Parts: sequence; structure tokens; C-alpha cells
Amino acid sequence: MKKITLYTLLCCAVTLSGCEDYLAQPVDQRTQLNTVEKVSELLTTAYPQADYATFTEAMSDLALDKGLDAVVEDEKNENPYLFQEVPDRQQGSSDNYWSACYAAIAAANHALEAIQNAPNPNDYSAQRGEALVARAYAHFMLVTLFSKVYDPATAASDPGIPYVTTPERVVMGQYERKTVSYVYEQIEKDLIEGLPLITNSAYNSVKYHFNTAAAHAFATRFYLFKRDYQQVISHANQVFPGGNIGANLRPWVSVYGNLSFLEGEAIYTQATQNANLLLVEAPSNWARSYYRYRYSLAYPVANYLFFSENVTGAPWAYTVLSAGGENIFVPKFREHFVREDINAEIGIPYTIFPLFTAEEVLFNRAEAYLETGNNEAAREDLETFASARIENYDARTHSISNSKLRNFYGTSNPKEGLMAALLDFKAAEFVHEGMRWFDILRHGLTVVHPTIEGQTVESAPGDPRRVLQIPQEAKLAGIELNPR
Amino acid sequence: MLLTVLVSPVPFYPTQASTLPPAQAQQDAITVRGTVRLQPGSGAPAEVSPGVTILEKGTANGTATDANGNFQLQVQPNAVLVVSMVGYITQDVNVAGRTAIDVTLDENISTLGEVVVTGYQTIDRKMFTGAATLLKGEDAKREGVTDVSRMLEGRVAGVSVQNVSGTFGAAPKIRVRGATSITGDNKPLWVVDGIILEDVVNVSNEQLSTGDPATLIGSSVAGLNPDDIASFQILKDASATAMYGARAMNGVVVITTKKGRIGKPQVSYTGNFSTYLKPTYSSFDIMNSADQMSVYSELERKGWLNHSDASRRQSGGVYTRMYDLINTYDPTTGTFGLENTPQARGAFLERYARANTDWFDELFKNSFMQEHSVSISSGTEKTQLYFSTSFLKDEGWTVADQVKRFTGNARANFNLSDKISLGLITQGSIRDQQAPGTIGRISDPVTGRYNRDFDINPFSYALNTSRTLTAYGADGNLEYFRRNFAPFNILNELENNTLDISVLDLKLQADVTYKILQNLNYNFSGALRYAKTNQEHKVRENANMALAYRAAGDATVEENNKFLYRDPDNPEAQPVVVLPYGGFYNTNDDNLTSYYLRNTLDWDNTYNDIHTVRLFASQELRYADRQNKGFTGYGYQYDKGGVPYIDPNIIKQGVEGNFNYYNMGMRYDRFLAYMANGAYSYKGKYNLNGTVRYDGSNLLGEARTARWLPTWNVSGSWNIDTEPFMQQQDIVNRLTLRATYGLTASMGNATNSSLVLQSGSTRRPYLSEVEAMIYIQNLENSELTWEKQYETNVGVDAGLFNERVQLSVDAYRRNAFDLIGLIRTSGIGGEALKVANYADMESHGLEASLTGAIVESKDWGLRSQMTFGYNKGKITNLSNNPDIFSLVVPEGGPKEGYSYRGLFSIPFAGLDPENGSPMFIDENGETSGEVDLQSDQTQHLIYEGPVDPIVTGGWFNSVRYRNFSLSGLVTYSAGNKIRLNPAFQNSYTDLNATPYDFLNRWILPGDEENTNIPSILDRLEEAELGGTYPYNSYNYSTARVVDGDFVRLKQVSLTYSLPANRVSALGLSNLSFSLVANNLWLIYADERLNGQDPEFFGSGGVAMPIPRQFTLSLKIGL
Repeated sequence: MKKITLYTLLCCAVTLSGCEDYLAQPVDQRTQLNTVEKVSELLTTAYPQADYATFTEAMSDLALDKGLDAVVEDEKNENPYLFQEVPDRQQGSSDNYWSACYAAIAAANHALEAIQNAPNPNDYSAQRGEALVARAYAHFMLVTLFSKVYDPATAASDPGIPYVTTPERVVMGQYERKTVSYVYEQIEKDLIEGLPLITNSAYNSVKYHFNTAAAHAFATRFYLFKRDYQQVISHANQVFPGGNIGANLRPWVSVYGNLSFLEGEAIYTQATQNANLLLVEAPSNWARSYYRYRYSLAYPVANYLFFSENVTGAPWAYTVLSAGGENIFVPKFREHFVREDINAEIGIPYTIFPLFTAEEVLFNRAEAYLETGNNEAAREDLETFASARIENYDARTHSISNSKLRNFYGTSNPKEGLMAALLDFKAAEFVHEGMRWFDILRHGLTVVHPTIEGQTVESAPGDPRRVLQIPQEAKLAGIELNPR
Repeated sequence: MLLTVLVSPVPFYPTQASTLPPAQAQQDAITVRGTVRLQPGSGAPAEVSPGVTILEKGTANGTATDANGNFQLQVQPNAVLVVSMVGYITQDVNVAGRTAIDVTLDENISTLGEVVVTGYQTIDRKMFTGAATLLKGEDAKREGVTDVSRMLEGRVAGVSVQNVSGTFGAAPKIRVRGATSITGDNKPLWVVDGIILEDVVNVSNEQLSTGDPATLIGSSVAGLNPDDIASFQILKDASATAMYGARAMNGVVVITTKKGRIGKPQVSYTGNFSTYLKPTYSSFDIMNSADQMSVYSELERKGWLNHSDASRRQSGGVYTRMYDLINTYDPTTGTFGLENTPQARGAFLERYARANTDWFDELFKNSFMQEHSVSISSGTEKTQLYFSTSFLKDEGWTVADQVKRFTGNARANFNLSDKISLGLITQGSIRDQQAPGTIGRISDPVTGRYNRDFDINPFSYALNTSRTLTAYGADGNLEYFRRNFAPFNILNELENNTLDISVLDLKLQADVTYKILQNLNYNFSGALRYAKTNQEHKVRENANMALAYRAAGDATVEENNKFLYRDPDNPEAQPVVVLPYGGFYNTNDDNLTSYYLRNTLDWDNTYNDIHTVRLFASQELRYADRQNKGFTGYGYQYDKGGVPYIDPNIIKQGVEGNFNYYNMGMRYDRFLAYMANGAYSYKGKYNLNGTVRYDGSNLLGEARTARWLPTWNVSGSWNIDTEPFMQQQDIVNRLTLRATYGLTASMGNATNSSLVLQSGSTRRPYLSEVEAMIYIQNLENSELTWEKQYETNVGVDAGLFNERVQLSVDAYRRNAFDLIGLIRTSGIGGEALKVANYADMESHGLEASLTGAIVESKDWGLRSQMTFGYNKGKITNLSNNPDIFSLVVPEGGPKEGYSYRGLFSIPFAGLDPENGSPMFIDENGETSGEVDLQSDQTQHLIYEGPVDPIVTGGWFNSVRYRNFSLSGLVTYSAGNKIRLNPAFQNSYTDLNATPYDFLNRWILPGDEENTNIPSILDRLEEAELGGTYPYNSYNYSTARVVDGDFVRLKQVSLTYSLPANRVSALGLSNLSFSLVANNLWLIYADERLNGQDPEFFGSGGVAMPIPRQFTLSLKIGL
């Protein structure tokens, strides 16, 4: 009997010791982050796959109420125009963008953790650089949209957004907003650490990752908001070899302007275009609806931006098309429809968004020149831009002289005039791309939104509604919502 | 009647055929001879039987009867013979010096309550404390029903069986005591001969009703031969299911197959010959062709059937065909296919208005199904053998389906010595099945419809296709109409677009029992199962599905045909054909390799005849690897020697659309468990039972903490009938009070106890920009754990009038917690919508079964069994934030405060007085025609009720008169709601079949006062709807919901057994004939169903309702 008990116990011990190994078998073919290649592949998702254009464009002064001409009425388009919150959480909503940014951050954090735990972290330096810059970018976009715009005077007390540096392991993680200046410090830290590590040869599809040009372009945007203008200029000059931005601008005059509608739509977001520095694919209805939404570009704005002469004395060469009535647009986006199944009628519409372009770098440098008192360098940048956007550009007739600025903008202060021209050029260049809102924030512009029913919604600097509301569920994470 | 060996309550007592009996006994021993007869409980004449044990009481001296029921044994003159046979009441016979003793044993009709086989243990019913129901194979068997899981219907209280599809191989939706998980499976665990039966594919509850091909390999018991089954044991509460721990939260169905019997070889044959009834239009509400044509003329008036756009229409019926003919010009004769004159058009349409095509007649057959099963049972004391083989051939109810199934089963039991016994089982089945070709269904929350391209399900086709269409033209050839811009004829399509399914399933099993000590047994069970299934979807080049890929040649068609390819690199190019030749050869394989090992130790002892203690410990290991692989074969040329013609663009199109033309995936299931159980009984009066378990699984992910879970339960019973005060009456002969409380658990469908990463490719438009990616599917959830439930069960079992009447009642309450549900988080961690253990659900129920042998005499017998089950549950905590669509679909959805799957409706608010389109109350309380089905504003929806019945049960009766017996089974279910089939659309075509309801539709303003049937919109009115789908919303409104209550006469069976003397004259041991009608009559159901089956979801694909079926069954025993 004793022997039997002994044997039985022995058997049990043997079977037990193998248990943990036996149960360590993964349930499916899920992968592990154990090679450089796999960390690289994870970083493909470290970019916010969501569009902000749907709400930032509608909040900006480029949008007007097209009333009955509109084809698509949607609260994701209407509420931002009226400076109201969007209850919807689907693609195109600010809640969706919030989640997408943090999803990108989670991918970056998991990549960084895998690199930290790897036996050979040095092999991962390019990936580490990408992850840090991507993490900085997503936080920058969040703090810009969901906190007050950076103001050196109040940034140390303005609530920021949670800066997340470690992967979440529990269902309901708890977070702190801290302050805008804290978030900026963290962004700068990640950016400075990550940027030198970036290696373009580490990427398969360079334009969909923070390549060196895109990372410097991001630095120009960041430092512009941080008002560190020397940094803006320095980074802008590193985007292209020799600081030559002009040769990389979109060839509207020579190429884009001659394309058919379908071709034009397609080319704007192609990786082959030098001007596109960073692209992202996002589930979004934007390509389908950007010109059909009720609150979007309409003739009063288009007449000023496209159908009349600008400060140079000539009109822009953009192709402006009409889809009937007030539905006018510059062809920029083509929908990539991913069917649920090869035979399905339904699927997820994707839009490719250019996140950074050569044009923005040029404008950021010009703005930094202006802020540092170098008006002539700024003027030169703006004229470089104009030369790529005006048919038969002639430096003699189309130069942006002080007299033209005075006549056009009614100011004899060349800096003011050049800044006004810069903002107008940007508005035209980035129409439909949601970029105007960031200028409105940074320059404290007032937005006036009339409606067809006769209402007028106005939003001036300091309006709490300019700071987007954080998703309600954030309260579960210990986050205070923005005041309303 | 064949005598079926039931499960042995105790191991067969080894008898010693001693050549050298004890010396002392030999001195004055006498030889006793005799015959033993068995008296069946049914009252049939007693028959001699081999294998009856005769034992001299208090000794090991014994023997067994031979084939003629005779025995002889040397015993002491004053000995007492113990004559016993499984399933019969043991008799003690005083020899008293006699040398010739004849004994007749009575069948123990209380066997039903005698032992409980949990699959691991065989427990004396007196000591069993859980809730379990035994159903004998011979009682449950329904001749002509080929899937054993359907045999539980209406026979076991608390078990609901819903036949969501009747196609062979599709599992019914089985629930034991309702649902326990919100997001996971609620299927019971199947155990066959002690071994857990793994599913080859995991078909979720929702998938069961989709009609997808995977459902046909979803039933894990479809490979079992119904004739092999000795019994079903349904384990319901925490104590009964304790042996199965972590997967038993949904109940366990234990199947025991037949074993060899001691005695001469017994051969039995069962032959079933069945035929089906075709469905008829008389039972459905579908317009005949004349009425249909008048609807079409309204469509024509309203601009839907214009000549001008006929060629642009993707699909069309008679009008489209008429315009096509008018457009066809023959230059040789100078004539058109049809003259464009009112007379010619009228004459053309006249033929179709009179066609009144009976699609059921075209597509269904009064088919023939045959099923043959032969088994041989044989054995000695040392060796018992059972072999069976069966063959099923179903020619199919429709022209598109047929099934062949072969099963083989060999089981051997060896008593190697006093200490060691060994059992070996080999079970295998092969299936060859054909079904209409189909592809997966897609739910479209945008328009609120389910889409399935190229659906050719004959039942759906017959119900949804206009009766004006004809299968054959006036010339007798197949007549084609347009579908997907290509010619279509259902008969041609069913021939050219098929799904062939083959299944090979083999199980090898060994059991060893070693008697370590008198009261200590060790048992080992091990099994290996290997299943290979293969689906071949063959789309031949003439099939509409292949031709649709080739429909081009006209700019409008090219623009609208979604099966053409538009090159993203060339934005201005016209779409082009990418399947110029051939069809498709698509395969999908699901394979399973599983192992199962179990070691148990069982010890029991009784002290002073008062205290009985039983200890039981077990360790088990499960291993299952599931492989799924699929392949899309483009351009296979069936009539050109099977050579594929592949246009590279079709591959490019797929890759650009993020569709891979082949796939292979593995799923690994690893499971370990340790269990200890103790039972104590005081004089057989008071019993206490307790179990602790420790289960481990890899399914939750890599984290060690989440992997393991302890569970426990305690239970007790009081056999009141053993109390002295009960001895003073003779009405109640058995009365037991039981109670159980315990924790059970189950694995939810979340696997992210550690980070879950998946690979894919990025969704970008140009191949040059696409790259491989890894994405976070789920963040780590370190708090992930099993889904759990506390269950309280109280039950009473009673036998009255010497077991003539048996009653069993159970009441239970379940509190499920830590259930997996979706929860919305701050999103800051990177996952806005997580799956987490936070949801709670509670349910309670009552089960009762009453069995009575009301009349028992030599000539007459009347038995009756009633079962009743009530289960009501409610989700008490769930913040899943569903959208409207997921709640209003026929399958319902989960929402806090309501049942596990509640059916909700959009509140219908009458018809628009202007155009007769339906209107609803929207989320703002306003009347509107516009409902965004993807909106998560669901508070305004009306809760209709659960989609699963609250009450289920059955009533079984059998009457016997001499050699005739007649039985009938009625099943019922109640308390649920059903959504009517979607019949309404924003616009209709000349293909649609419409219900007669349409005759009452809104036509003129003012009609909205009298009717709720929306109008047919004209083209302008439809355009004004502007991308909203009020008619689809109407299908999901309060106007389209009916009660799900029904009563069904499930089976009627008449059997004649030849009298014993006639049978033996034929050289047989028995012979009987039965005439069986299955699924005979829907006695009661909501009238508004208009022929819609209350259990069946008409989802197309491979789903088919259960047919009315008549079977002639022949049983022969040698």
C-alpha cells in the first residue's frame, strides 16, 4: 500500500511539473515581438489611423453652411461647425481621433518595451527612433486639439493630456492630465531622442513612416507651436538636402492642373509625390464626403481663395471642380474601399491623409522667419510657393512687394502683411486637409459661422469650445473633462 | 423486442467457473439445473436469456445461463441462489434441496433512477446528490432522425432543442438550463463513453442560424450511429457536472454506447426507409403569379420596370426579359425577338401571369432515404464484444442535397484477471454530403439587410422568387432570367454550383481498470481522435456565379458590375473582366487532432454497515489542435480537363482588396485538471458530497495567473423513504430530497491575458505602398479570468406506487459573474472598446418530469411522460453599447436589464399619409422615416421579449396492445418572440415574390387609417428617401414581430412486433415493423407566421427547415 501511494505521488509530481510548459502553448498563431522586423511591422500602426479633417475643417473658417445644396448631412460635420460636441464615436468624430492617437501610442509603447527587453537593443535603434517620434507626434496632436493651445504664460497650469509611456495592462488604467508644458517637455524629449536614430533604409514604405524628412517636418510644426523659431528654421532646412524645399513642392502648374478628376484625386496622396512627407491610411468617409458635407467649402470662401487674384496679382492654378450647386472642391482624396469580403457590397472606406508635406515645411519656415524678424527670407519662401502655383509665373510681375501687401491687406507693416499672405496661402493650399484649424488656434483667429437659418455662431480666442471635449469615458480613468 | 444492455450499475461480477470448488463444499453438494426467463417491463412474454448470473450466496461459486437460458451449478443443498441480470430485479432463491429451479426475473422499471453515469464514475442513485436525467437509448431513439442530438427534444426537462436548421450535420441549438455566457458559447459539453467530444469547428450560437457551410460540420455527434447508443445522461447542476469542471457550466450530455453482452452472438438489424413531403405554397403566404403580375404592373406604372433602363438592371424577371427580347434584332430575318406592340407585350406577359410556377415542386422531391444498421453483440465472462456498422443514404429533400454516411464501431471489454479489466473502442464515420453552393453571409448594418451573393438555397429561392418566372420555357428548355447581369436558371445553377462536404472521423479509445485493493480502483482512459473535413465549393463555368464575373461588353454593365476589376493604378480605365474562362474551385478544410488522458483513483468503504465513504480523485489532460485552411481557386476549367486559367488581375484585385486567396490557421487547445471528490453516506439515508477542482487552460493567453482556476461545490441528499415514518405507507416507495451549491466556470472567448498581436497587411490602395504589419488586436488584460457562476439547486425525486409513477422536480438559481463583455474605456491605454470580465447575469428556473406506467398488464400498457422546463434569465450588468442593428435582427442582441438575447424593435408609428411609407419614433421621440441602424442610441427601442423560449417541454405517450404499440411525442415551447421574414424593401423588382399582405397595402392617402402595410413607392418618392431605408427598418419594427409559442406533434410511431412463436418459427429472435411520422404537425403557432417555421431562421445558404418525414422501420434480431 505504501509503495502504491508513493508511486502515485511520484506520477502526480511528474505530470504536474510538465503542466506549465504544457499550458504555455499559445492558443493561436499570435506573434511575439522578438525580431527587429516584427517590431518594425508593429510600428506600422504607431500612427493615428483616423481623420481630424472632418471636424477641424468644419470648425475652421473655410467651412460655410451650404444649406439645401448639401448632399450629406451628418452630425460629425454639423456639430463641429456649430461648436457643439459630437455624440457619435465613429470615424470622423473627435472621440474617434482621441482613441486612434492613443492606439498609435500603445503600439509605440509596446515596441519600445520590446526593444528594452530585447537582448540586443542596439539592433533596434532605427525602430526606437521611429517609436519615440511617433509617440511624440500622437501626443502633440492630442494636446493641440484637446488642451488649450500652447501659451508660455499659462502652459504650466493649463491641463494637458495624459502622456503615456508604458503599455496598459489592466482594463481600466488610471491616468493624469498634468499640464500642457509637461506634455510639451515630454514631446520634446522623445523628439530629440528619437530623431537622430531615424534611418530611412529601415522602412519598406518610407512615406508611411517617420522618415527623416517627416520627422524634421514634425519638429518644425512642434517648435512653431512652442514658439522656438530658430529650431523651426533649423529643422526646416534639414528636411530636404541643401534646404531646397521649392523643388519638392507639388507641381500644380506643370502636372496636377492638367489631370482629369480621377487622376487628380489619385495623385494627391501617392507616395511617389515628393511633396508628401508622411502619409497615413485611415478608416474615414472623408474622401467620399469632403465636398458633399453641408458645412464645407462654399463659393464665398472659394471666390476669395481660388476665383480671384491673390496678393501676387494672379489667381492660383488649383483645379477647382463642382459637383453641382455649392459643392465645389479641389480634388485631393480618393476613397480606398476595403470590402468586408471579396463579394461584399459593404466595407470600410479608407482615406489616405498627407500628415506632413513640403508645403507645410516651407510655410513653417516662412512663419519662423517672420517671427524672428527676417521678413525678406519669409518673402522669398512665399514667392517660392507662389512660383509653383501660378501659371506662367514671372518673378517680376508676381513678386510679393510691400506695396501689393499694403494694397491687398491694408497694412503698411510688412511683417503683418506677409503673415496675412502666408495664412491665406496656407488656407488655399491646405483646403479640405483640416490644417487651417491649427493656424486659427496658433494665431488666435476668430471664426464666424453663419447658418442658413440665420443664426451666427462665433468663436473667439479663449472660447472653451475651441478645446475639444475629451471622451466621457475618460472619467473612468480619473481624467477631468474640459470645462464647458 | 431486442433487449438492450443498459449501463451496468456495478462491474459485472466475475464468476468463477471453478474446476476445483472448495473441498468442504464438495462433500454434500448437489447439482441444480434450471432455466431463467426475463420478464420485460413492457409486459411482453418472458423470454429465456443467456448471460444471467447465478451465484451461491456468500461464496464465489457461480455461473451464467447459456444461450437457451439454462444453467447448472453445484451448490450446498441449503444454499441460496442469487439470480441477477443487469436491468432486472435480483432474486434470492432458496435451493432447499431442489435440483430443478426455474426463475423469472422482472425488469426493473425503476432502472431509470437507479444509477447515474457521469462518464467518470458510476454512482448508485441513492448516493447521487446532483441533478441529472437519464434517457435510455431505446426510449430516445426516433427512427428516421439521423442526428442523435435531436433525440433529446422534448424528452428532458430543462433541455431546449431548437432546430434552427434541419440540414444534415447542422447542430440544433441546444441549451441546458438556458444561457450562462453573454459572449461565449452556451453549448453543452458532449461526452461519449467517458471522453469529451471536441467540436471540429466551433460554431457559435449566432453562426448556427447563418446558413454558412461551416454549420454542416458543426454537430459533433453527427457521426454517431443512433443504434449504438445505450443511454443519454444529462447532467445539469454544479454537483452533477463537477467532474467536467471548467467547461461544464452549460451542462453535460453523457452518451454511453452499447457494450457486448454475455451469451451467444446476437445479431440485430435495423432498416429505416424514409420519404419526405415536399413543402407546398398552400402553407405559405406567397402571391400566385396572377396577383404577382398585377403588383408588377403597379411597379411598371411607378417607373420601376421601364424599357429604357432594362439593359442596365443587374437582375430582372419577366419584364426585363421582355425588354431584352424587344431589343434583340435579327438582321437575317429583319425581326425583333418580340414586337414592341401592346398586343405582343400583353401576350408575352400573359404566359407568365398564368405560369404559377410551383418552385417547391421544381426544387423539392419526395425523396427516399435509407438507413441500415447491423450490430453483433457477443461475449463470455472474460470477453465481451460489440460490433456495429451502419449506412445512411439520403437522396435529399431538394434536388441539390444528398448525404451518405458510414459508421463503424467496435468495442471490446476484457476481464484479464480479477484485478485488471480492459476496454477498447474504435469508432469511425465517413460522410459524403452535397449541398447547394454557397458563400458566407454578410450582415449589412448600413441598409439593414443580410447579404449573401449568389444564394441558391432552394427553400429560400422558392419562398422569395416570383411565381411568374418559369423554370422551363415554352420550348421545354431551361429558361434563363437575369441575375448579376448574367443568365440565371435555378436548376442549371444547382447543378453547376455545388458544395461537396466530406468528413472522416476516427476515434480510438482504451480504458484500463486495475483493482489495487478490494476497495481501491485505479482507472486509466485514453483516447485519440482524428477528424478531417473538407468542403469543396465547385462553381462550374456555366454557373451564374462564374458568368457574373464575365458580364461585360456594355459600358453601363461594366460600370455597375462589382465583379469586374478597376485598376487603381489607372484611374480612368474601364473595369475589366478578370475571370475570362472557367469557374471557381474553392476549398475549405477543418481538421482536428485531439488526445485525451485521464487517471482516476476510486476508493470506498463501508463501516459497520452504517458509514459509507467514497473518495475519488482524478487528473485529466486534453489536447486539441484545430486546423482551418481555405483556398480560392480562380479560373478552374471543369470541362477542359481541370486546368485552371488564371488571369493575374484577379489575384491583384484580391490582394489590393486585402483578400488573400488562401489561408491556413491553427488553434491550439490545452487543458489540465485535477479533481478530488468525497462522498459520505449515513446508512444510505443522509448523503453528503463535495468536490474541489483545479483547472488549467491555455485559452486565456500566456499569463500564468489567468490560466488556473479552482472551483468547488457541495451537495447533499436525504433519502426520506428510508425513514421509519415512511414505512407506514405504501404510496411513496422512493423519496429523495437533494440540494447543491457550488461554483462552476467556463472559459469566455477572450484570450488576452497577455498582449495579442496579429499580422496582416496595411490597407493602402497601391501594391507598391502596401507593407506587412502587426497590429495590437487586444491589449494585455492582467485581470482576465474565467467566467463563473454560483448555482443553487434544490430537487425532489419520488417514486410512487412501486415506481409506477416517477416524479422529479428541480428548482435552481444561477448567478453568473465575471462574464466577458465589451466595455468602453477611456481609450488612453490604446483600446477604446475592450473585452473584460465584468458582466453579470442571473437566471432561475424550474424543471419537472413526470413519468407514469399508467396501465401495465399482459395485453395492455400505457405509459406517459411529461417534461416541463422553465428558465428565465436577465443580464444585470453589461455596458456593451450595442447599435440598433445588432438588437433588432432576428437573432436578437444582449443589453443590460434584458434577457441574454433580447429581440428589440423600432417603434412603428404608422404610414406616411403622403406616400404610404413607414414611419417610426426616433431617438428624439419624433416621428420620422429615417432610422440610422448603426446608431448606438437604443433607448427608444421597444423590447419584445427573449429570442430563446422561456418554457420548453414535451409530452410522450405510448400505448401497447398485445404486439402493437403506438407512441406519440408532442413538444412545446413558449415565451419567446420571432421576427417575421423581411418582406419589405424600398423598391422591388420583377423577381420579388411578395406576400398576400401586399394586397392590403397602402394605395391612396387615407389608407393609413386602415392598414399598416406600406405602399410601393414610385421612383421619385424612392429617390426622395435619399439613402435612407425606411422599408428595411419596417422589417425590424414592432409591426413585424410575432409570438414564438408553438406546440408540435413531433413524432407518431406505430409498431408491430411479431409474436415470439412466429418469430422463432422464422429462426429469428425478434422481428418488428414500425411506421413513423416525424415532424408531423404544427398544432399551434402564431397565425401571423403565415407558414414561417417558428424555429427556423430562413437565412439561405445551406439552412433548410426540418421536413415532414415518413419512415418505415424494420428490426430483425437473430
